[in-house]
Amino acid sequence: MNIEKESISSKDLMFAVFCFMQATVLRSGYIISITRQDSWAMAISGLLFSLPLVAIYAKLLKRFPGKNLFEINDITFGSVLGKIVSVLYLFFFVSLAALNTRDLGNFVVDFMMPETPIAAVFFVFLIGCVYGIRKGINNLIHLSTMLSIIIIAAVVINFILVLNNVYPGFLKPFFQLEPIKYVQATVSVVALPMGEIIVFMMLIPMLSKNAKAAKSFSLGLIISAILMIGVIIRDIITLGPLVPIVSLPSFESVRYISISGVFTRLESIYAIVLILLFLFKISILLYAFVLGLTHVLGMKSSDIESKTNESGQLQSQRKYTPLLLVSAIFVFFYSLIIFESVMENIDWGATAAPFFSLTFELLLPVISLLTAWLRRLGKKQEVKA
Amino acid sequence: MKLPAKISRAYLSSCSYFYNKYHKRLRYTVVLLLCVLICSCLCSCWSQREINSLAIVVGTGLDVGDQPDTLKLTVQIVKASEIGTNSSNDGNKSEGKAYINISNTDKSVLSAVRGISHIQNRRPYFSHNNILVFSDDLAKLDIKEGLDAFTRDYEARMNVHILISRGMASEILNEDASLEKTPALHIAGMMKDQNANPETAIVTVRDFLIATLSESTAPVAPMVELYESEGKKYAKLEGTAVFKQEKMIGELDKTQTRGLLWVNDKARSGEITVDTQWGQVVIEFFHSSSSLKPVKTEDGNIQMQLTVRMDGIVESNETTKDMSNLENVEMLKKEMDKVIHSEIEGALAKARSFSADIFGFGDAIRREYPQDWEVMKKNWDKAFPEIELNSHVDVELRSTGGLTKPVVPGGAK
Repeated sequence: MNIEKESISSKDLMFAVFCFMQATVLRSGYIISITRQDSWAMAISGLLFSLPLVAIYAKLLKRFPGKNLFEINDITFGSVLGKIVSVLYLFFFVSLAALNTRDLGNFVVDFMMPETPIAAVFFVFLIGCVYGIRKGINNLIHLSTMLSIIIIAAVVINFILVLNNVYPGFLKPFFQLEPIKYVQATVSVVALPMGEIIVFMMLIPMLSKNAKAAKSFSLGLIISAILMIGVIIRDIITLGPLVPIVSLPSFESVRYISISGVFTRLESIYAIVLILLFLFKISILLYAFVLGLTHVLGMKSSDIESKTNESGQLQSQRKYTPLLLVSAIFVFFYSLIIFESVMENIDWGATAAPFFSLTFELLLPVISLLTAWLRRLGKKQEVKA
Repeated sequence: MKLPAKISRAYLSSCSYFYNKYHKRLRYTVVLLLCVLICSCLCSCWSQREINSLAIVVGTGLDVGDQPDTLKLTVQIVKASEIGTNSSNDGNKSEGKAYINISNTDKSVLSAVRGISHIQNRRPYFSHNNILVFSDDLAKLDIKEGLDAFTRDYEARMNVHILISRGMASEILNEDASLEKTPALHIAGMMKDQNANPETAIVTVRDFLIATLSESTAPVAPMVELYESEGKKYAKLEGTAVFKQEKMIGELDKTQTRGLLWVNDKARSGEITVDTQWGQVVIEFFHSSSSLKPVKTEDGNIQMQLTVRMDGIVESNETTKDMSNLENVEMLKKEMDKVIHSEIEGALAKARSFSADIFGFGDAIRREYPQDWEVMKKNWDKAFPEIELNSHVDVELRSTGGLTKPVVPGGAK
């Protein structure tokens, strides 16, 4: 394992955040089914409401520079309560990993290989994730720049090619739905793709010295939101009233491309991009889970001093290998049993998922920040009490 | 936190013990196992589709079945081996058809598709389907089932052309296509050519579904029929079928279809024949576009405002008059205006008689005046025939083609 500490720059982190979110963005059906032709605006409102989340994470990181989420938990809540909070986060990470594995599996099985058992798909993709993590998560993050270029190029090219089959009038009328729908969709956008960047709080110790995590988070979110607007507008002007009823709007609108019989059947590009993105996302989530598990099980010194921590970090990187396989197997079975059907998955995404996610993305960080503030922990000069 | 830490440390140390001891051997074993595993993925045991076990469908027809509540599905399958051969040299023209049509009657589309396994040894593969033909008898009953099945299925695509046949759809797929080897490709090719002659609505599954989902718009689809010539039957596109609530309620003829396409901004290029006082002048138009906007009049009613823009060139002049003369150019523009107006009026009158909003007036109103639409949509069927359409045609005659003056007998001096 070629883990180097402090090797991730601001730019890498920004693109990693971007890639991490695009997997969900390209499956934007769940937002479009709520706000229909106004969904593109939800990317903007979602971004606006995600920036406070980033501000909370930034505050935490400023108080405890160079610490990851679980170390912060240990400091703020003490070793026992901190471990309990960390276990809650672990549950969140592994659930997200399983949910995304499930999404990927459903996509492959529904649209490409309908007779393949979904377990076979999970198995093959999780092997890929495990391999990627063993080769070093920071290599994967370095790759995200390239991956981002591929995604942006694919979306832009698809947008241009579908232009002769679109009708911009489908975007009208603007903002005629009940206001509650916009709130609902905004909460979904904040909770589902955008707030999930809390996972990157686990990677903070790997950042290079001069990297600014908060800036990368917000820039990554902004690029994602821009691309999300593009993708949603493309879907709406191509499919119009069909958008809320098809299961994968992006897939269907890319499928519609047919230029003089030459540029046709481009959905394979979309499928490849989506699979790459999901692999990236699952790898990050799985890594966060394994790293957290290593920490919670005390396989690494949880001293507050950064010197021992540095060596502890290196040790843990070497040591978590067996846990990685165990965790991957756990995710495999978890994603098998998590949903019986796509319908259940959609229902979860529309009703419970935002609240489930926001508990971990908003509530727990706010509690940590408040506790830290009340207990006057962290960097002295930052405490303005 | 002590106990889990102890357990995990013990677990880890045992792991690392084995890891260190059998490091190399383990590594090789793992690599070997991975290779075997990857190979097993490559052979694709599941969902495997070999080209020689597929029946590639290029056209599909749906008819009313002979039993009550049944559908007759006809799929046209290409015979790959015949596509490449030059049948005129083989001498066995009658046998050398490059396609076969398989028909099966069952309760639903999917059961009919699966039922084909009782007749043929290959499974139909619908990704390359080009056309979906419904017979008018079926269309008058309900085309919902066929549409849903052909959109939901993961193999089917939404850019398949929809056609309504006069008579049996299976007969249409059995026409004697002369230039193409399969009737389905012949009809699909014709659909692609209709851009140059706006007398046929080009409707894909997506367009049809979008119109169906609309609260007001009546879907349309082109019609296809057979004509006989020298004992052979050929397919021919003719007219447009009008739907309401997924049932066919009437037809538009060629000229009315043109009127429809002017309003729907689907007429791109074509020709207009103008009758002047001296004879016929044919004008080719291109770059045509139209915009339909609802406007509120002073008394609060909503009217539709249509602007049609186009460029034209004089394509043929059967008169002896000089059409490059600026006065005549103005006259031609006026005449074109008249022709287009009358075509639009024809389509409008027909649509009003069906009370079917084929132009999408309702959707246009919903987009511009959502509040008014909430009131209007309640009795749209009654309101639609009352809606006024003001059309304005804006023609620019660019040139007179390769000739400036007409060819007049004895005109050379």
